[in-house]
Amino acid sequence: MKSGGAPRRLEGLAFVAPFLLLYGVVLIWPLLMGIGISFHRADLFGAREWIGLGNYATALADPVVHQAIGNTLLLALLIVPPLTALALLLALALNRATRGAAVFRGIFFSSSVLSVTIVTLIWRFILTPDAGLLAVAADALGREPLPFLSDQALVIPAIAITTIWWSLGFPIMLFLAGLQQVPADVYEAAALDRAGRWTTFRHITLPAIRRTLLLVVMLQTVGQLQLFGQAQLLTGGGPGGGSRTIVLAIFEVAFGRWELGYATALAEILFAMILVVTLLQYWLVTRREDAG
Amino acid sequence: MASLALKDVHKSYGDTLVLDRVSLEVAARELIAFLGPSGSGKSTLLRIIAGLETADGGEVWLEGRRIDALPPGDRGVAMVFQHYALYPHMTVRENMAFGLRNAGVPKPEIDARIAQAAHVLEIEAQLEKKPGQMSGGQRQRVAIGRAIVKQPKLFLLDEPLSNLDAALRTRTRVELAQLRQRVDAALIMVTHDQAEAMTLADRMVVLNERRIQQVGTPMDIYARPANAFVARFVGSPAMTLAPATVMPGNDRFARVRLAGGAEVMTRVPRNGLVDGAPVSLGLRPEHVSLAPAEAATLQAEVILVERLGDRTFVYACLADGLEMIAQDIGSSAVRVGDRVGLRIDGDAAHLFEADGTGRHADAAT
Amino acid sequence: MSATSPRAGLSGPVLALLLVGAAVMLTPMVWTLLLSVKSNAALLGDSGAALSPPYTLDNYRAILADRLTSRWLLNSLIVSLGTTAGVLVLSSLAGFAFARLEFPFRRSLFLFVLLGLAIPEQAVILPRHQLFATLGLHNSYPGLILPGLTGSFGVFFMTQYFRAIPRDLDEAALLDGASRLRLFWSVLLPLTIPAQATLGVFTFLASWNDYWWPLISATTSDYYTLTVGLASAQMNYAQTSGLGFLMAQAVFASVPILIVYIVFQKQIVRAMAGTAVR
Repeated sequence: MKSGGAPRRLEGLAFVAPFLLLYGVVLIWPLLMGIGISFHRADLFGAREWIGLGNYATALADPVVHQAIGNTLLLALLIVPPLTALALLLALALNRATRGAAVFRGIFFSSSVLSVTIVTLIWRFILTPDAGLLAVAADALGREPLPFLSDQALVIPAIAITTIWWSLGFPIMLFLAGLQQVPADVYEAAALDRAGRWTTFRHITLPAIRRTLLLVVMLQTVGQLQLFGQAQLLTGGGPGGGSRTIVLAIFEVAFGRWELGYATALAEILFAMILVVTLLQYWLVTRREDAG
Repeated sequence: MASLALKDVHKSYGDTLVLDRVSLEVAARELIAFLGPSGSGKSTLLRIIAGLETADGGEVWLEGRRIDALPPGDRGVAMVFQHYALYPHMTVRENMAFGLRNAGVPKPEIDARIAQAAHVLEIEAQLEKKPGQMSGGQRQRVAIGRAIVKQPKLFLLDEPLSNLDAALRTRTRVELAQLRQRVDAALIMVTHDQAEAMTLADRMVVLNERRIQQVGTPMDIYARPANAFVARFVGSPAMTLAPATVMPGNDRFARVRLAGGAEVMTRVPRNGLVDGAPVSLGLRPEHVSLAPAEAATLQAEVILVERLGDRTFVYACLADGLEMIAQDIGSSAVRVGDRVGLRIDGDAAHLFEADGTGRHADAAT
Repeated sequence: MSATSPRAGLSGPVLALLLVGAAVMLTPMVWTLLLSVKSNAALLGDSGAALSPPYTLDNYRAILADRLTSRWLLNSLIVSLGTTAGVLVLSSLAGFAFARLEFPFRRSLFLFVLLGLAIPEQAVILPRHQLFATLGLHNSYPGLILPGLTGSFGVFFMTQYFRAIPRDLDEAALLDGASRLRLFWSVLLPLTIPAQATLGVFTFLASWNDYWWPLISATTSDYYTLTVGLASAQMNYAQTSGLGFLMAQAVFASVPILIVYIVFQKQIVRAMAGTAVR
């Protein structure tokens, strides 16, 4: 198998070349281009002027950026922990081979296949005070409907709830897959040791799915840091930038103000944030595995 | 003329030598078994013949044609893999036809060959099934069938019986024996099971530590193992090797003294053996028997009794800690903990020199 | 919290929790469905009317008659199917090579591809928009499809799958005189069909639901995908045809994806399980 000479060895390259070509031109090249553009004052139409770290300096001092970063982190905080806990709880409840559990699994996953446009359409007409389902319900109870999408204090929770509803399916599936990896005899042994439900969960289930737990938290954090469609479509970032996320800010700077250089710099900052989160969580898990 | 000839074949993976200058000739229609422990190089050798691995040096000849530089498909060899390696998505018929189609065999010819092989192997009813729908034994037949239809000059079988349960193993052993009557080709099988090799092979090639240790007929290898490794690897339970020294004397045959003091007169010619030289006395279980104290060579304590029905193997421990295996009648009353006398049949004993070289009683005497 | 016996049925409190959860999941969808079968006029001023008859299919009729919505559906199908086909072909070829062939820089190239798993779309999307503008690819099907073909996951996934196929099948094929191409096409590729299904469904879903890229690449409504088209309709629904019609569009746009989901539920679950085990 090791024989064959040059033509045979190059054959393999021919198989990977089509993907690598696209990968290089449509992903890696723009990635590098972006780093370059971020050092320029550049607009969408080709003008370029080298300003070094100018865009980054502007970003550091830009209150809009501060607000967007704050909003994004708050959203991540409001989404990731409840989402993870809910998904784990539901996965534990659904980790059985009955027909009923299968139906429930289907229901909880169904929202995940919808596009962000449809999710926001659905939730807009739940949340809006003039025509939403919650308004109709409030009406029936004789209460004033809450202005979820126009009140500074309510927009972020509203987006968070929408997102949790939309994103629940994937973590549930991940947890279910993780739970299937735990051998059943461990539970039987625990039962023989008279371990209670909580003890079993705390000392057997949780350690066994720690990797999955970390994966869920990591994927969700990285995902929510890039939250875009929900904010853009539900609130347009309003009111007063109260729900503008980082990606929405990037979108506005690039396609509203046509400041490509600045937008790219913001994107690089987000990229760095995502890398830090990923590396931090990776480090956390490997460190704990070394210790344990 | 030799069917297959290996000349000085050697191979390393990096710094690790896996085959050290192996040479071998296989006669036409001969069934050869490569026997050895894992890591002995037997599988590597088979794969080099097949062309799945390339040797670093040496030559492989098949029926007068040098094949070591040819791609596997052009060598005129067929292989039955240990796990069969049947294409799971193809029917039995497609499995057998695949290689023939690649070789450009005309369709009617393919059909004829498959029909014949299926008939011989009694898998005609399974031709349209997929391997996943078949039992292990049936899959093995398909794997054999896939090899047969190619009409190779050489069959290679990698651990052909290792995946089968005990009952099927015996049956397949018989079938393999029949198979070789039907095909006009040499067969080489790799196995780590000496019983398999002994029962099937015309000649065995015992490998260990990257080298051929001995080539010979099963009986030859059993009766006259070339060295201590072969002596212990072939035969079950294994031959006991008892440390001993050569006693001085002028006899034609060597007399040795065991570490415990007992002396054994062998029928191994003493010429070439140095007085006082350390040797090992090799004793097969059938050459050690239980005996009353007065007729016994040695005294020992029974530590394990293995009852096979027709005979009983008695594992006994000598005073100096040496373990020796004796054979007794099936209805033996001996029990663990008994003190017994052992009688050694010196006429059948083997001697192994310090470097492992075996010496045996003359066949003539 | 019952993690004891996986065969046991759902106990009382757990069942109650699940039922509440299911209601929360389904109510918004049912509400959308109800809104979509009310006439726009009836919903004007009081969307609570959706809770009671009369219901009508007028909105759906209007959608079928609407040139743009059908066009968007067609665009979404072309883009999603094109992306799926492309990903399957590219990932299978590359996965086979990475798993089975020897070639220069194989390990480094594989690591290079894995790097892509760590690159978020944000870091690429703006310069790619520039690049595609230069190449004149905006408002075209290639412009919408190409970015979806660069995902490393498919290559990684297929490489793993090819690696899991026993090597003795390759060797049997070699002894059967098969060329590399024949080995790939006739022996190994058919064995990856389950993986193809999983990866295909996954890619189709992601492509169908993609929003960011088609939003900035397709700027004329003729090249909108359903996702982007619906977004534009949503943004200015006040000026357009009304709530019932909008919701009918949402339902209409979800139907293909729900069909895919229901038909391929097994593959989707398997894909998730695969991600988790890694």
